[in-house]
Amino acid sequence: MTVVPPDRPRGRFVRWLGVTARTRRRLGKAARLVAALALVGGIYTAFAPGIEAQETGDLSAAAQAGRELYENSCVTCHGENAQGVPDRGPSLIGVGAAAVEFQVTSGRMPMARQEAQAERKPPMFTDEEARQIAAYIQELGGGPVIPEGDLAAGGDLAEGGQLFRLNCAQCHQYAGSGGALSSGAYAPDLYEATQRQIYGAMLSGPQNMPVFSDSQLSPQDKADIIAYIQFMQNEQDPGGWGIGRLGPSTEALVIFLVGMVSLVFATLWIAGKS
Amino acid sequence: MTTQTADRVMAGGAEATATEPIDVNDPSLSRFDLVREGMRRDGVEIVYYEPRFPVPGTKEEKRIVRFIAFCFLMTGVASLAFLAAFIWWPWEYEPGANINKWYTPVLGITMGVALLGIGVGLTVWAKKLLPDEVVVQERHDGPSPDDERKITGATLLHIGEETGLARRPLLKGALTLGLAPVGLMAAAPLVGGLIQRPGDLLVTTGWGPGVRLVHEDGTPVRPEDVSVGGQITVFPGVPGGTRGATAGDSATLLIHLRPEDAEETRRNALPINRGAQWGNFVAYSKICTHAGCPASLYEQQSNRLLCPCHQSQFLITDNARPVFGPAARRLPQLPIEVDEEGFFVAKSDYLTPVGPSFWERE
Amino acid sequence: MSTRRRFNPRQLPANAAGAIDDRFQVASPLRNVLNKVFPDHWSFLLGEIALFSFIVLLLTGTFLTLFFDPSMEEVTYNGSYTPLQGVEMSRAYASSLDISFDVRGGLIMRQMHHWAALLFMASLIVHMFRVFFTGAFRKPRELNWVIGITLFALGLFEGLFGYSLPDDGLSGTGMRVTFALIQSIPIIGSWLAISLAGGEFPGTLLIPRLYIAHVLLIPGLILALIAVHVGLVFKQKHTQWPGPGRTEHNVVGYRMFPNYVSKQISFFMIVFAVTALLGGLFQINPIWLFGPYNPAVVSAASQPDWYAMFLDGLVRIFPAWETRFLGYTISPLFWAGIVGMGLIITLAAIYPFLEARFTKDKAHHNLLERPRDNPNRTALGAMAITFYMVLLLSGVNDVIAERFNISLNAMTWAGRIGLLLLPPLAYYITHRICLGLQQHDREVLVHGVETGIIRRLPDGRFEEVHQPLGPVDEHGHGQLEYAGWAVPKKMNRLGALGAAVKGFFVPIEGPTPDGKGAPQAEQVEAGQKREEVTTGR
Repeated sequence: MTVVPPDRPRGRFVRWLGVTARTRRRLGKAARLVAALALVGGIYTAFAPGIEAQETGDLSAAAQAGRELYENSCVTCHGENAQGVPDRGPSLIGVGAAAVEFQVTSGRMPMARQEAQAERKPPMFTDEEARQIAAYIQELGGGPVIPEGDLAAGGDLAEGGQLFRLNCAQCHQYAGSGGALSSGAYAPDLYEATQRQIYGAMLSGPQNMPVFSDSQLSPQDKADIIAYIQFMQNEQDPGGWGIGRLGPSTEALVIFLVGMVSLVFATLWIAGKS
Repeated sequence: MTTQTADRVMAGGAEATATEPIDVNDPSLSRFDLVREGMRRDGVEIVYYEPRFPVPGTKEEKRIVRFIAFCFLMTGVASLAFLAAFIWWPWEYEPGANINKWYTPVLGITMGVALLGIGVGLTVWAKKLLPDEVVVQERHDGPSPDDERKITGATLLHIGEETGLARRPLLKGALTLGLAPVGLMAAAPLVGGLIQRPGDLLVTTGWGPGVRLVHEDGTPVRPEDVSVGGQITVFPGVPGGTRGATAGDSATLLIHLRPEDAEETRRNALPINRGAQWGNFVAYSKICTHAGCPASLYEQQSNRLLCPCHQSQFLITDNARPVFGPAARRLPQLPIEVDEEGFFVAKSDYLTPVGPSFWERE
Repeated sequence: MSTRRRFNPRQLPANAAGAIDDRFQVASPLRNVLNKVFPDHWSFLLGEIALFSFIVLLLTGTFLTLFFDPSMEEVTYNGSYTPLQGVEMSRAYASSLDISFDVRGGLIMRQMHHWAALLFMASLIVHMFRVFFTGAFRKPRELNWVIGITLFALGLFEGLFGYSLPDDGLSGTGMRVTFALIQSIPIIGSWLAISLAGGEFPGTLLIPRLYIAHVLLIPGLILALIAVHVGLVFKQKHTQWPGPGRTEHNVVGYRMFPNYVSKQISFFMIVFAVTALLGGLFQINPIWLFGPYNPAVVSAASQPDWYAMFLDGLVRIFPAWETRFLGYTISPLFWAGIVGMGLIITLAAIYPFLEARFTKDKAHHNLLERPRDNPNRTALGAMAITFYMVLLLSGVNDVIAERFNISLNAMTWAGRIGLLLLPPLAYYITHRICLGLQQHDREVLVHGVETGIIRRLPDGRFEEVHQPLGPVDEHGHGQLEYAGWAVPKKMNRLGALGAAVKGFFVPIEGPTPDGKGAPQAEQVEAGQKREEVTTGR
């Protein structure tokens, strides 16, 4: 009973950005197809009432719990059995536990409203619950999974730094302070990201982020990168206040707002009448 | 004594002009009289002069003197604190948050306070203790007197005449023809030493037929190394390809497109880019055609490449056409295939020059 | 000879002075310098910030050269900074890291050097605004204006070369763009670029060449030009604001010694202190985060230091207009980067001559103009600043987009449209404001200061009572001419009320309900002729 919209490839999440005419056409087509399938499926369900019970029977206990949470909070957009709802949310078949855990623990999902890009916010579910939902999606459609244990264990800082600059810095900035992408999209800053979230993001490639599967960055590489990001999260700047680690832009603000302003006050005082 | 004389003379801000020359050897003159005579000779007139504290030793004066003294003493204390911190504060680098990280701020604060002490103390001294004065000095700007101009002009012309250059055209010609090359001679070592023929340096890269695509560490790349929706930076598998001379313009972005995007890319391929794609893999130059930064912000949903330097955006599915920003040209596509051992190789070098435009580039 | 002269230490300075004058005859020129008069105004101290920060630059820069090695030789880093240990890098980058982490006090010196550089350029700009808006560049001071603009251009390159020396990821990206800029020059571009870098970018010669330019050639030029600049101010004497007793032919102020010099020294110390505080408290250019330069690596939010940001902004928002003709190419980079920079700097440099030509003003000017009194110039200046600000903000448009959740593409378009729309708007608004202020000055001179007292006339009308500034004619109109200086517009300026705030930051005297301790109280009482205006009955 898995109905996959033909034009909804795996691993793709929200695509509200840059919706071209072509995409709209495709979505329209998909909508019609889904409607037709839903009709057929509805008729089928009417004649085969036992099918749902049969499916849930295969789920583990965690996935069972996850299913309930899913039915409450995710089903509106991602649809019955995570097959997606056109114009609302993509199918979650094949995205894997990694994607779910990343999106839910970082508060991006469930989304507050349909917007360009899901924002990081206080998570709605506990980590425990998030992993239950993840287990449910995993058992439903498979996909990448975040391994257990300390994900930065054995990470080499220098190696991680090199990998970070080559693979991550172009979007997330040298110091992980985040950066702008085209047309309103952005790469978020990494200062709040946890080990598992970083790992999950690399594995699943959320939103516009490219996928870094294990064949591309080995688990060891990922450990190196996580070690480096965590180093930067915990690092006190040796040169005083880091002014956001944003480079010349905030330095320009400081030289005028602090340097020039204080010196202009000094000139007013020195040349003022006593 | 002298200051008292000055006070008396200037009391009430009365005009105190010494317009008449005085005999500087007159023993009855005070020092201030001499000062005024000096000003007179320098075209300076003191029109208002009043000590800040006509009655010495008032409470207010003492307060100000105490404040200035405090500033200077603070400078002393802060300087010693700087010295102490410089020597004894733990300064070696330690990762994380620790007291060593305060080394630089502590030096900055102590040095700043020390210098500020001098600055503030001296300013208060100048503003509150030095006599208040209004002094007028004549300006003598504008042109020199007419006769002076005339004399100097005549002298210059006379010098010109003395050389006799106007009367001796041969010398004039010889001077021009003979001495101009000296300038060229002086410039020659600089220009000659620096100049290099660009040749095809800007046109060719490290790529060529059969050159493997390698990771930064030099290991060759196989198709399964890049997941769908992923990208990696690859370099030519030649000596010095990943770091060194050719790395500057050879860096390439290898992208594994989703099937439908790959199909679209193939459909859109321009004649020059036909056959450059291998399966769902495309490889574009990472060097932006605008100013040469690595255009490497790959957005896997919108299939755009963004350059972080000047925000040019390239559409991967349409021959990396520039769709936004100041870049005017497409990113060149590297024709790739997979050799019999299963590794990516380039079919040839880039067919158009990579990187920013230049004059000779057609 | 036979009698040994007794050594008198108190006589020593006089003896030394005598000995010097015996040989160099300095008594009268020295006195001339001691007696030199300087006018006093806070805005005349802005240029000094540049001078003093340049001295800080020389001091800290000399320290840095003792440890920096501009070599492109590949080394493996094994200094203290953990996340880079074992990484391959150039010796230039490694030695910059060593200055930051392995030289005691090296980091604060590096940071002070960099902050002083930003301050140098910032004060140049602010000083230039002062000179521009007050008309201090007019004859006979055009040459000094041109020198000032040249100093800005030299400072731009000095700074660009300086922050490129560590060979870190961010500055390497900047050098890459610079290389592309040179390469874009028609006809000679590729030859010039390849020749300057000694081969293909990045090569191994660029950093050593930048180094010698940064520590010797350009600072030498800057130093020489500063000397000429200050020398000309000395020779031509400083301009002054109009005011009582001030004319085109005199300077009213205080003498160089002791007043002026002690204020200068103290201001130098304050500038030095601000640089030290910035260097210690605000981290600048953390090269260790950027990693060694690698042409394949880039970071989001890559931009130059602020003084080059306007050029980067122009390059960012310039449309993709690449021209091709006869098989040759001219890049949009050339128009934005080379032509744009050249035009902006040239226009600024020749402005005094343009203005003199258009206003047919050939007179000597030693008195400054209030900005409002030359609305055209002030409006042009506001227009130029607006133009510059749009470019500057466009130079950080990606950071603004990211921090304030604005679309990057929208920022680019805002820059493009703003660059065309806002400067004329700024011109218009500034022009109107200037005229309005002028008119108000004239109005106060004719009708007097607004007292805030409303009086009802016998016929029932209401009118505000005005306090004339001077004697009035039979219509009650003031006879004073506008003198090019501030017109008092509040009663306390006339001594009718105590100054609202006296002293610099805090009132010296508090409010005085009983009138005790307020010296102005007496004056208020004394103004018997104001009886008429204070009683509305």
